[in-house]
Amino acid sequence: MKEIIRINHITKEFKVLNRREGLKGSIKDLFSRDYKIVRAVDDISMSIQQGEIVGYLGPNGAGKSTTIKMMTGVLEPTSGEILVDGNVPYKNRSKNAQNIGVVFGQRSQLWWALPLIESFRLLKDVYQIEDKQYNSIIELYKSLVDIEPLLHKPVRQMSLGQRTLSDILAAFLHDPKIVFLDEPTIGLDVSMKAKIRKLISALNKEKNTTVILTTHDMGDVDALCRRIVIIDKGKMLYDNDIEHLKSFFGSYRTLKIRVDGDLKAQSEVIQKEVPDFAVSADDEWISILVDEDKKKVMDVLNQIQSSHSIKDMKLEEISSEDVIRKIYEEGVE
Amino acid sequence: MKIKKYLTLTRAGIIESLQFRLSMLVMVIGNLLYLIVIYFLWKAIYASADSDVVNGMTFSDTLIYLVLATALFNFMEMYTVWQIGRDIQSGKIVLDLVKPIDYRRYIFWSFSGSFVTNFLFTFLPTFIVVTAVTHGAIHMGLNLLYFVVSVVLAIMINYSIDFIVATICLYTESIWGINMMKQVIVLLLSGATVPLAFFPDTLRNVVDHLPFQAIYNAPLTLLLDGDPDMKDVCITLGTQLAWCVGMFIVSKLFWKCSIKQITVNGG
Repeated sequence: MKEIIRINHITKEFKVLNRREGLKGSIKDLFSRDYKIVRAVDDISMSIQQGEIVGYLGPNGAGKSTTIKMMTGVLEPTSGEILVDGNVPYKNRSKNAQNIGVVFGQRSQLWWALPLIESFRLLKDVYQIEDKQYNSIIELYKSLVDIEPLLHKPVRQMSLGQRTLSDILAAFLHDPKIVFLDEPTIGLDVSMKAKIRKLISALNKEKNTTVILTTHDMGDVDALCRRIVIIDKGKMLYDNDIEHLKSFFGSYRTLKIRVDGDLKAQSEVIQKEVPDFAVSADDEWISILVDEDKKKVMDVLNQIQSSHSIKDMKLEEISSEDVIRKIYEEGVE
Repeated sequence: MKIKKYLTLTRAGIIESLQFRLSMLVMVIGNLLYLIVIYFLWKAIYASADSDVVNGMTFSDTLIYLVLATALFNFMEMYTVWQIGRDIQSGKIVLDLVKPIDYRRYIFWSFSGSFVTNFLFTFLPTFIVVTAVTHGAIHMGLNLLYFVVSVVLAIMINYSIDFIVATICLYTESIWGINMMKQVIVLLLSGATVPLAFFPDTLRNVVDHLPFQAIYNAPLTLLLDGDPDMKDVCITLGTQLAWCVGMFIVSKLFWKCSIKQITVNGG
């Protein structure tokens, strides 16, 4: 594998005017020189390999978009160094532009009044794509999604889902090495989300394109990303495999069972039998939070079965959503 | 091969502007109303004057000048400032900045399609009507060629000025006031609303040393001068060329410095 993005200790600071309140304050602000420095990105380093799909997560305002804007060359870092396929993005914006594709879920790069095919033709000339390459990617698109009805439809008449799909196709058109997807599934229905995830995954496999995905939808992350990076308040919190994220908080799973008799009373009995784990009951289930490092779920189940008759059971993983919420709220420690 | 990159933007611009048939119609009607106002305004001005010739221009001279100035305005005005300003506010500018084309050129060529359609649909008809109605008040000769060259230069000067104003929007993050101010200044000082011949001498002197007169006054003077003196033509076109280069450099440098410190909206 080849390293495609290298980020070394980058920091980005913005100068923001300290605003005062009210009419009087607003007038005073006109002459104010009272700036404060806001550090949107604080000493972040990472290395991304060709072909990876990286989930880039963080709460709103964490500095995700700022980092992406630095990787695309739109913003210049205050300090630190970025290399995207060997280029310094902000110094060599045009060259970098050939290597990257960008999708912002809330904005479109397509020509609003024109049918999609015209936008594709435009991008073909703007990115100077060879005819052969262009035709083959259009063929690939046709095999992956049903684009024929979309091609001749003006973008302004498309639904949000169709537009997002089209924007993703447009971003991959010039066969970039890296595609940045900023909340691509925002505001879409379940079936469209699934379609878009499938498309991204297929394009990544087919073209070996590196994908950097920011999202607030854990479904996107679970479906697409092996590796996730979490930042908050500009600082890096986590950078590792998604499986590792779960074990990071202990290998907990929730065992849910239903037994004869009153669940509340039974749960107290079971609590005594498995004193290591927390047992609780609601109207439907008795839940046992099992730490698999201490005892396997099967063993716990066997133990309970020897003294109770279990009518029904299910096993729940701790979802990545739970873990990430925990990180956003409490940090890593 | 490289020019294709830009001509494709022109092509898209043409298709795009043809999509909005109704807006074209409204533009033509709005134009007519404006021209009617101009007609009566200047009729009143000439009626109150002592002689038929005011500041060396007859009523029909003035009217031809102003009608053509309006037509020229309609096809040169690109609303670049609005466009860029809106893109800055909405953050869409990021998507244009990550294209492998210099942003200045990208915007220019994106607008170039509307030059073509507006030239064909507003300037040319107006020009033909004026020629027909005035029975040859406009000389048909080399002056047409000078005019075309001059208009091309004017478009580039106008674009550079627009781009400088748009760059200011990066700092202010508001568009309306700045754009209004620019429009009033350009239209007045370029001779688009009042022929420069009507300006008092001191103001005229100042205006002659500003780039704005090179946008409307220069091409129209070249067009309407039936018997052009080679020396005057060279001076006019030379001045335009100088402004064109000068404003180009200023706008490019200003953009280059500004783009470094932009903070693009949205997350």
